[in-house]
Amino acid sequence: MANFLNYRNVAFKLEDKNYYATKVSLSAKANVDPVILNDGSLLNYAPQSSVVGSLSTDFYLTGALPDFLRITGFNESSITANFASVTISNVYPKSISFSVEPFQPILISAEFDWYGNVKVEDFTPNTNEDKNNIQIPSYFANGYRSSLTTSNLEGVDKILSFDYSASCERPSFFHINDIIPFRVAKLNRSLQLSLKSNDLGGILDIDGKNVNSTVSLRDTYGTVLDTFSISGILLSQNYEVSEGQYLLASADIEQTVTQNKTLV
Amino acid sequence: MSYIISGLNIQNISEYNFNNSYSKYDIVDFQLFTGASLSPAYTGNGQTGLTTWFNNDLLGYFKTDTKFDVTGWRNLVSGSGDLNQTGAFAATNPYVDFNENYINLFNDQTLSGTGFASDSRTLIFLIEAADLKKVDQSQKILQFGTDSTYGKFLLSGTNSYNQAKILLDNTEFNSVSSLYNDKNIFTLIQDNAAGTIKLRQNGIDLGTYSSFNANWKATNFILGNNNDSVDIKYYEIIHFTGVVADSQISGYEKYLYEKYFDNTRLYFAFNNVSAGIQYSPITYTGIGYWTQDIDDLFKMNYGCSANFTSNLSMLQMGDGYKTNVAQTVNTLNSKFNLNYDGLTDKEAKCLITYFENSPETKKKSLYEGYKGVEMNLFPPYKKNAELYFKSIDHSTIYNDINSIKIEAESLYDSSLDYKGMLVELDEINIKTYPSDNKFNSINYNDIFYYDSDSVKLRGYYFYTGSAYNIDENSTITTGPFVISPVNSPTGISSWFTKDFYFKGNIDYNINSSLRLLKGDFKNSTTEYDKDGINYNILEFNVDFKNRSNSETRAILKFLDDKAGYKVFKYTLPQPYNKEINVYCPEWNHTYNFNNNNDIGVKFIEFKNPFDTATKFNTKLYFTQ
Repeated sequence: MANFLNYRNVAFKLEDKNYYATKVSLSAKANVDPVILNDGSLLNYAPQSSVVGSLSTDFYLTGALPDFLRITGFNESSITANFASVTISNVYPKSISFSVEPFQPILISAEFDWYGNVKVEDFTPNTNEDKNNIQIPSYFANGYRSSLTTSNLEGVDKILSFDYSASCERPSFFHINDIIPFRVAKLNRSLQLSLKSNDLGGILDIDGKNVNSTVSLRDTYGTVLDTFSISGILLSQNYEVSEGQYLLASADIEQTVTQNKTLV
Repeated sequence: MSYIISGLNIQNISEYNFNNSYSKYDIVDFQLFTGASLSPAYTGNGQTGLTTWFNNDLLGYFKTDTKFDVTGWRNLVSGSGDLNQTGAFAATNPYVDFNENYINLFNDQTLSGTGFASDSRTLIFLIEAADLKKVDQSQKILQFGTDSTYGKFLLSGTNSYNQAKILLDNTEFNSVSSLYNDKNIFTLIQDNAAGTIKLRQNGIDLGTYSSFNANWKATNFILGNNNDSVDIKYYEIIHFTGVVADSQISGYEKYLYEKYFDNTRLYFAFNNVSAGIQYSPITYTGIGYWTQDIDDLFKMNYGCSANFTSNLSMLQMGDGYKTNVAQTVNTLNSKFNLNYDGLTDKEAKCLITYFENSPETKKKSLYEGYKGVEMNLFPPYKKNAELYFKSIDHSTIYNDINSIKIEAESLYDSSLDYKGMLVELDEINIKTYPSDNKFNSINYNDIFYYDSDSVKLRGYYFYTGSAYNIDENSTITTGPFVISPVNSPTGISSWFTKDFYFKGNIDYNINSSLRLLKGDFKNSTTEYDKDGINYNILEFNVDFKNRSNSETRAILKFLDDKAGYKVFKYTLPQPYNKEINVYCPEWNHTYNFNNNNDIGVKFIEFKNPFDTATKFNTKLYFTQ
């Protein structure tokens, strides 16, 4: 591994495409238990499951979100990530989230699981040629022109900020003798939207309250980069005021994403 | 719909139709054609022209001599010619196998007759020819006329696509299905007006033989009559005068298929299948797409487990002494839980159907039950297992994520087999000890079968290094190297052991009860007396959890070799620390993850002295 890799010299790619990341974090965790024999000696450490790696990143959205980051979609395939010139295969997206506040650039946070072996000793900085070939984007998503439209919820026009997230669990399945899963499924797919406003109307009832919302992320020129919809239920509302502050209302909307079974 | 399909609890399974394409994990009931079958005797569609019909349904269909050897095969069509062993063809008589539905002609054995003359004819017959021992040789299946060149139907070539050939005289046709050691339905449609003979194999057109010789119209009809190393089974022969309509031919072919083929087992697609008759399951091409082998379809997941219980009759001899008599050579009741996880709905449908259809395997013989599922077990168990699927546990945690556990039983593992019952000497993971003591590498827990004339010396040895506490991760990889005879399994400073050297986990419990005789005195007190001299007999469980694959193989091979009743020494843990004799009538194993196995064993103390010389296995030596 090269010494003192600098942020400016480390590239991050998903499916061979550069992402303008402000942060990339790569970690791995082995799940082992010690085996202690009846004479008191330690036999070894036995693996309980495969090494599950974790990859997380924050990046600027410079165009439409790629399909593989549609977390609640039904594509379970793995993708490849490239970090500091080392390719990581068997990478599985499991969540994305972003926050929208007035006049702030929008960072997409994404989390992934990965399996297999990563040669961290091969981490290397970008070559000058690589650096020269990176195209600097002229636009990216910003809260300035981005918007939220909502039906069946009052006070949306007074929204101060909102957070959107999509997530699922990724259980892995292994054939005997394998340590790389043959399938990393998706379950419990869900979308969440949390928003803060001056007023969010009446209090919800015992069944919650159905809400349909669409988030449009735009660049500073007003061009729509991507839209995110949620058709869920208002689960909680909170009204809060503190000294020197205005009354602030917040609400959480959640959608459980399902799929009707296809007849087989 | 057949009872095979209607008997399943699964919907959307149909008969194979070669006009359709199929996707991976689709399931079909293959019955050759989708239409109705037609018995040769059926005349509901009008006069068929049936002039010859030979089959093996009844013993009375044969002419036999006083030794019950066959001297002739009776034609079931009244007034038509039989096939006999006469004249120049009266060689060795074929015999009637009362248990089989075919007549076997070896080498120069021959059946022949006259009265079969016809300018146009439709001949449909079912045979099974054994592999040719001499590859440059051909097998003559049948012949019209007596010419040395013409009027012959022959098989030749090796059994593979483009190599296996069917010959009408000297004209070759590529076989589309396995030609040898498998049943085949052949159809010859001889059209005198067109001057052609059309050839079909298992319902598939192979081509046309043009300008056939006059011998094909002759009165003589001959079966067999080959040189040596030829073995042909004749099941049924149907002959019509004239050219029969295609739809009727399909019906007669289906009649033979339903009667003789193993047609009750479903076929499963293990690839996407294009439309076309060449992709039907019994063709050379089709076997790359359709299977009845579960190993082609699914791989097991971690979490598989095995349970073993020995079938013993215990003989109590007093004073705590006893002897264990194995009830059968299949001393172990072996049950496996096969785990298939992470299945899509379509995969789950396929596996559940496979399970439900598994009793439709053909019977092993007239006197036995159906054949089990042949499959590879999970490591370290054998690959060529025959299992009977007993029950299935299907659960689903979410849309399109299924988990299936199948309980299966293995019945025919003999304790007399020196290679082992379920953990076998496979020469890959468990090897025969090299007679020259040379190794390329050797690891702790490696297992070797040491061959010897002495029953006390031969058997399975486990490599434990110069001392039994050698680091498990140590590997000698500087080979090839030679282990000195003194360090060999039978050397005086052996690096191998036959003893149970494995240590249980730190957490254990041993329960013990005294063997006491109880005397109850009415309206008084209870008296206890010790039951003979051996009143402390232990019966306890030991756990070996989270063990590596190599140690697991060694433990399971050790127990497999003991077959549930053989006695061995075991050193009790602290604070007992005593070496006692035990046998292991029950144990279980779960494969949790790679290099993570749980084994639980039950040991029962055995007080009698034991002698290994009483063992018997199939490694026999014959000397003059």
